[in-house]
Amino acid sequence: MADTTFLALFEDIDPAANAIEKLHEMGVTNDRMEVMSGVPINPRMLGRPHPWTNVSRLALGGAIAGFFFGLFLNFGTPNLYAVRVGGQALFPIPPGLIILFEMTMLFALLATFLGVFLESDFPNYRSLQYVPQISDGKIGVFFQIPQEEQQKFTDALNELGAESVEPTEARQL
Amino acid sequence: MAVTSKYFSGSERAHEEHHEEEHDPRESLMFDPLPRGVMNDMVMESMHTTSWKFWLVLGILAFLVATCFFYAWGYMISEGLYVAGVMRPSFWGIFLVNTVFWIGISHAGTFISAILRVMKAEFRRPFTRAAELMTTFGLIQAGASIFMHLGRVWLAYWLFPIPNERQLWPNFHSPLMWDLLAITTYVLGSTMYLFLPLIPDLAMARDRSTGWRKTFYRILALGFRGTEGEWRHLTVAMNIFAFAIIPVMFSVHTIVSWDFAMAMRPGWSSTVFGPYFVLGALHSGMGAVAIVLFIMRATMKHMDYFIRKEHFDALGKLMLIVSFAYAYFFFNDYIVQWYGGDLATDNLLHWLEGGPMAWMFFQMIGFNIVLPWLTLWNKRIRTTPWLLALIGLLINVGMYWERYVIIPVMLTINRMPFTWRLYEPRIEIFLTIGTFSMFLLFYMIASRLIPLIPVWEVQEGQMTHSLRKVGKAHLPTITEFE
Repeated sequence: MADTTFLALFEDIDPAANAIEKLHEMGVTNDRMEVMSGVPINPRMLGRPHPWTNVSRLALGGAIAGFFFGLFLNFGTPNLYAVRVGGQALFPIPPGLIILFEMTMLFALLATFLGVFLESDFPNYRSLQYVPQISDGKIGVFFQIPQEEQQKFTDALNELGAESVEPTEARQL
Repeated sequence: MAVTSKYFSGSERAHEEHHEEEHDPRESLMFDPLPRGVMNDMVMESMHTTSWKFWLVLGILAFLVATCFFYAWGYMISEGLYVAGVMRPSFWGIFLVNTVFWIGISHAGTFISAILRVMKAEFRRPFTRAAELMTTFGLIQAGASIFMHLGRVWLAYWLFPIPNERQLWPNFHSPLMWDLLAITTYVLGSTMYLFLPLIPDLAMARDRSTGWRKTFYRILALGFRGTEGEWRHLTVAMNIFAFAIIPVMFSVHTIVSWDFAMAMRPGWSSTVFGPYFVLGALHSGMGAVAIVLFIMRATMKHMDYFIRKEHFDALGKLMLIVSFAYAYFFFNDYIVQWYGGDLATDNLLHWLEGGPMAWMFFQMIGFNIVLPWLTLWNKRIRTTPWLLALIGLLINVGMYWERYVIIPVMLTINRMPFTWRLYEPRIEIFLTIGTFSMFLLFYMIASRLIPLIPVWEVQEGQMTHSLRKVGKAHLPTITEFE
């Protein structure tokens, strides 16, 4: 029988952390669990692994790309469209540093921004598992278990302070 | 998530009553938490509540934008730049004064949001967005002012490095070209920096809206749900932005100053112009934030919960420190030029002190230096919102005069006395009213469309603050969650 996704809602971090520990004890692995909250919560506080992110690597990649674009703009394009001003070098280094800096920062910032979109799968307008109480400050623990074990898990989580434990379905946000 | 409210019960409350002379921590937003749902409702209600006064002001501003901005600019485009007051020797007039002024205003957002975020200054939390919005809307006005200055605005694309058949290419030796690149970087960077922390609040608004607002927030929230991964990507990105946007901010106004300092003109050729401009930008930006916070608090529902006297106090201290630094650079710039003995510079400085624009020069010193020094040391003044807003307003008048003195007034006195002629603005006055009106109009519209208070940041701050008993006293303590 296929597993069903359940949502346990918690008021505070401590009961949520205890509930996650209990879920681990009852055999629910981290990859069958998802935590949502209205504020960023350090996963260590919940006993969860730190999510991997490539945003900083993408930012670095953007910075490198911007640096080379700046080099091309400053030292490459004057060859294509030479603006010869008496007594001035075609490739001046000091103004070139300004162009390099601005292009490096611009591309780094753009890559960081796009990195959030790529990593978070934004924009995402499909139906998703979610409840509005999460943006009201509740901590939502989504976990997948066989339907027939619902009662056992509900009792265990209610005992640890869950406000509700219910099966949940994807919905239009 | 009522995390911090526990410490105000029972014996601790009694303890507080016994020490009435002590500072009540509940005066601070971070020690006066409300449930997140209540704070969300307060912010949503502040966005939905409008009165006839709001619509009246909005209508007046819209009229001013239509007439003083679009009609006046259209008229100038159709007639040519002769309808403006720019002519020999002041070819740079109010359009560039406005450009520098608005870029200066835009520095407040980055300073408050990025620098205070990096420094972990907790008082920043409720008003980072209000300041970031000033950055974005200020830069729009700065950009518009540059295009006005171009005159033949339809040829603006000549500035861009686009392969073409004209055999023209932007000259990267030119500070004006650096300006284009720096301002473009800053506009894009600060807009993205405004949007990223806004996503969770847009999701909050999405969850509480119906009708067209629901569609609007649903599109902008991008499907954000608050998963661990989403928060991680977002917080890492915001940290990168906070560090990266600071040097960009410094570069923008330094490069703007180089538009002037790179020219061998009396009054302009100065090596301290870069930091002097940056400090001036922060000075006007801080003042503008004080005005915006006062208006928000006075006109929007529930804002007195989020924006408190402590925030005005902190802002007032920042304004005082910035005014010290500003005075230092102003004097440094002034005395070196005065001591240099260059005849044209001597003529210019004496003309500033005793010429027809002396009133502007002395008001500039009075509003930017003397006024903050005389008033902002006093806590009662700093914690009186309308007074701080008034000081902020006068600082902005002073900063506007400063840019006016630097650009058209200093261009009047040059090395060719037969060209000396005082700049007299014409259509520029209407266009200036237009840009100010557009800034206010955008801000008013935004105040009803996007949450001006970053609720999640406020709640995060409240979660990390608590009182710790040390000896007989309960002292504010901040826990690092990261």
